[in-house]
Amino acid sequence: MAETQSVSGQTPAQQRAGWVTGTLILFCLASTIITAIAGLVQVSFGEYSMTFLEAWRAVFNPNVILNVTAWSAFLFGTELPEMSTASIVVWELRVPRVFVGIITGATLAVSGAIFQAVTRNELASPFVLGVSSGAGFAVLATLIVFSGLASVLPLIATLGGAVAFIIVYTIAWKGGTSPVRLVLAGVIVNMVFQSLQQGLFFFADDLGVVQTAVAWLTGSLTGTGWDEVRIAILPALLSCAIAIGGARQLNVLMLGERTARSLGMRVERTRFLLSVVAILAASAAIAVAGIVSFFGLVVPHIVRNTVGGDYRRLILGCLFAGPALMVVADVGARLALSGTQLPVGVVTGLVGGPYFLYLMRKQQSMGEL
Amino acid sequence: MARTQDHEREQDRITDEDGVAIDSALVGENLELSYPTSEEPIVDCARLDIPEEAVTALVGPNGSGKSTLLKALSNHLEPETGTVRIHGDDLDSFSQKALARELGVLSQENDSLGSISVEDLVYHGRYPHRGFFDSVSETDREAVERALELAGIEHLRNAELGQLSGGQKQLVWIAMVLAQDTDVLLLDEPTTFLDVHHQFRVLETIRQLNEQKGVTVAVILHDISQAARFADYLIAMCDGELYDWGPPEEVVTEQLLADVFGIEATVRYEPELQVLPKRSLPNRRL
Repeated sequence: MAETQSVSGQTPAQQRAGWVTGTLILFCLASTIITAIAGLVQVSFGEYSMTFLEAWRAVFNPNVILNVTAWSAFLFGTELPEMSTASIVVWELRVPRVFVGIITGATLAVSGAIFQAVTRNELASPFVLGVSSGAGFAVLATLIVFSGLASVLPLIATLGGAVAFIIVYTIAWKGGTSPVRLVLAGVIVNMVFQSLQQGLFFFADDLGVVQTAVAWLTGSLTGTGWDEVRIAILPALLSCAIAIGGARQLNVLMLGERTARSLGMRVERTRFLLSVVAILAASAAIAVAGIVSFFGLVVPHIVRNTVGGDYRRLILGCLFAGPALMVVADVGARLALSGTQLPVGVVTGLVGGPYFLYLMRKQQSMGEL
Repeated sequence: MARTQDHEREQDRITDEDGVAIDSALVGENLELSYPTSEEPIVDCARLDIPEEAVTALVGPNGSGKSTLLKALSNHLEPETGTVRIHGDDLDSFSQKALARELGVLSQENDSLGSISVEDLVYHGRYPHRGFFDSVSETDREAVERALELAGIEHLRNAELGQLSGGQKQLVWIAMVLAQDTDVLLLDEPTTFLDVHHQFRVLETIRQLNEQKGVTVAVILHDISQAARFADYLIAMCDGELYDWGPPEEVVTEQLLADVFGIEATVRYEPELQVLPKRSLPNRRL
């Protein structure tokens, strides 16, 4: 017992509540500040020219922030109250984009974190497991062919994502799954769904629809408004709440299938239910922002490296870091090229891809968690 | 084999040599076990008893079906035929969580987990006692403290699992199963791959648990001489069948060591049971 660890003076009771560490609090705080700053930068740009000061004054305009009618107009689509032009531009056109960024960032990160625990695979993410392309196909089909169903877009996206995930899981299942088989099955299913997506373009007769669809396939927050917030906020809140509540189940799943079983968990059922939550979360994001690549894969990694692998901390960290990174990426998407806006998915792909390669090089083994 | 069949008609009751009845915590009857990939049954056993409040060791060579049998006893493997009862009730009549409150299981190999702290892992042992929304109760806290103390790893509570030696890790896993607070404990080769010091630590923990709290233990041990010294009862398995069952002094014979383990060995019964292996026997099937 020479390698005895140092014992802290805390009593056990104090330590139990102590899964909230200083690092976690700092991490969440920093993420919040970054989100706020990036959000403020984002609302300062746009076609209606405004100085930074004007824009920020409009953001913090107490007549809007403290106005119940205004919020009801934003969140429930009721009549907008009388307000200044600057306020309307900022609050109707620019602020919702930040909110959509926050929602999609949080849901994609949480979705990736859940998938990584359910499959016990570091490489898992809604994108890798086919959920993104399945949901993408479903949404694209809705936009192009069944445009009347646009109001239930998240539901359709969820269905598409679920179908794709089930196909991937079935292909990879052979008395259990391995990380490599899951990823390979995901790649194949992704390719099939992408071909289907491209095939759909032949049915689009309107060039405007095609442009929307393309922006949407790369993942874009451009032009998102309160409509998108309204669509995504409920599934996002629901899935994030369940994810926080289910953190202990995720932790037990991480102990491995046999141990989880011995402890009395119905492993297959728990996995299935948590997968549904992850699919719902990813679909909420995909329904409003399209396929933002690499996000669900990379963010849980960044959070894990900072706050550790405990899912109680990890999920919370993802809920803060996801929005921060998404809003920052969206600022990048807006400002990278002067004159035109990139889809945010291009930025996350260009930054996230190399970062993930760097992780792969750095770690000895990658795959099983 | 003959010995167990003699008692087959009796319900949950076997007798020792003096005719005193022994209660069984776990009973397996007419078990035929196989995996989906295999055609032949791997284990075929008419009756198996794990006596209440005693330590029973399962011994046998590699591939004799010990682990498979333990999986069936812990409901990790559905038997082709036959039933397993715990304190008289069929395993299938329990919900998974209710069963985990009666029966603790430690697998042979546990997945390597890097960053989890010892205390957090041991708290996972309370999983079957907690509902979805329950927070940690005083009972949970006490059970974890007891488990840490019994396994002698209180000083490691804040350490990360990844930093510990193999032996320390095993003690942590055992503490997790102890925190489950079950009356019956099944352990699959808890001492394999450990150095002698940690082997004894593990065995002493099990023994203490049995003596202090009357926990029924079934443990697979690789080392026959260790099993002979340590256990109250031995179950010797060979080719998926029960070769013999009983107290070590009766089960461990030179004949058994030749038949089951394929070794020539001397067995000393005085002053205490001792197995002295000499050499392997030729012409063995395996």
